[in-house]
Amino acid sequence: MKQTMSLPKNFIEKIKRLIETSYQIAKTEFKLKNEGSYLGIFWYLLNPILTFILLFLIFKDRLGVNIPFYALYLLIGIVMFNFFQSSTLEATRVIRDYRYVIKSINFPKESLIISIILKNLFSHFFEIILVSIVMVFLKVEIVRIFYYPFVFLLLALFGLGISLFLSSLTVYFVDMENVWQFLVRLIWLATPIFYSVGGQIRLFYLNLLNPMYYYISLARGFIIEGQISNCIFWGAVIYSVLFWGVGWFVFNKLKNKFAELI
Amino acid sequence: MNGPKIVLKNISKRFKIGYRKNIGALARVLYFFSSREPKRTIEVLKDFSLTVNKGEIVGIIGLNGCGKSTILRIIAGIYEKDKGEIIVNGKIISLINLYAGLKDRLTMRDNIYLLGSLFGMPTKEIKKKFHSIVNFSGLEKFVDTKLYQFSNGMLQRLAFSIAIHANPDILLLDEVFEIGDEEFRKRSVKWIEGFVRKGGCVVLVTHDLELVNKYCDRIVKID
Repeated sequence: MKQTMSLPKNFIEKIKRLIETSYQIAKTEFKLKNEGSYLGIFWYLLNPILTFILLFLIFKDRLGVNIPFYALYLLIGIVMFNFFQSSTLEATRVIRDYRYVIKSINFPKESLIISIILKNLFSHFFEIILVSIVMVFLKVEIVRIFYYPFVFLLLALFGLGISLFLSSLTVYFVDMENVWQFLVRLIWLATPIFYSVGGQIRLFYLNLLNPMYYYISLARGFIIEGQISNCIFWGAVIYSVLFWGVGWFVFNKLKNKFAELI
Repeated sequence: MNGPKIVLKNISKRFKIGYRKNIGALARVLYFFSSREPKRTIEVLKDFSLTVNKGEIVGIIGLNGCGKSTILRIIAGIYEKDKGEIIVNGKIISLINLYAGLKDRLTMRDNIYLLGSLFGMPTKEIKKKFHSIVNFSGLEKFVDTKLYQFSNGMLQRLAFSIAIHANPDILLLDEVFEIGDEEFRKRSVKWIEGFVRKGGCVVLVTHDLELVNKYCDRIVKID
């Protein structure tokens, strides 16, 4: 389709529209999630708090016995994985949920995926407040939490890439939603959330292929230890850029057929 | 902008649709377990051409399933054409499914922001035009009412009002006047007449022959 608009102006307009639309969809979905709820945002904290309490009580004297600040170590892992899990699982359903809009209005479809990240960022914010409370309680330097936004940026970029990839693939392969639910459970178990890699060489090598290991380790490095390893840092950056690039490419290749297939 | 607003040249479009295939027992079992249906290809549009000039209202009529909405979706860039050429000059606003983009568990206020944004309006502009949108819809008393309490006619008023405030150059309307009251229809038609006088154009898909005969400059019948 030929459009009579100059290229740079067209590009800037597109980006502005993408941001505005993503924000409005995220706001809408956030309101819908809390619509009519008596406890409201408390629900965002309930899931990580209950998971944390349960795992802490079970593992603090076993797997967590040699891990300093185990409560904080565990909570960081839980909230970061929670963000990744919620975003990617929602992404497998979003194109189908918005099928009538996609078939009726030509709007930037990427905004559906970006809105998921924005919406989950909001609930993640409350989880990070919870992490800060635990830091104060354990007398860990609270200023270290200000490094977290950088780690989150990398995690969000990675989550966006995976979400773009999954959302477009689900249109072509409906089974992808079930496959991903299963895979996410495997990644949860394979990622050192409630245990430490320690001296287990095989587990360590396996986790080098697991991007979530890098983001969680980076956040723990900044918050608990106050230092990070170069390998973990560059691994996180490379995985973020790589997955975002692949996700964006696949989504853009497939998005023009969405309206016909849903 | 001079010249035609929309040019479609020899557009063809095919779809794969599900159907009941005469197959053997083994194939039936396989289809049952995989839940995948057999599909065949149908050609909805074949070498379809249309030019819409500025200041024109073009009505498209035809039986259900003949490809009227497909034409609107191809013009809007929602569907890709298989063959042919499309030239579009200007911002398109499409109202193909009246209820698409509206969330029934949210208030009219929230829905104005959502649908306005989907139509490409920046938040600042929606804020500026908010009262005008509400006034045109005639739903001033229901700004903070959730949409599940709205009638179909009220939803039509709301969607149409948001669409016309999104600065369209080209308006694509699919059976939007089949519901709703006479008063709002007259107001909408009056707005459309003003819109085309200023150089906009409208492609209207409808089953209402009286409407197309009365207001459209040209009528395209699809077989």
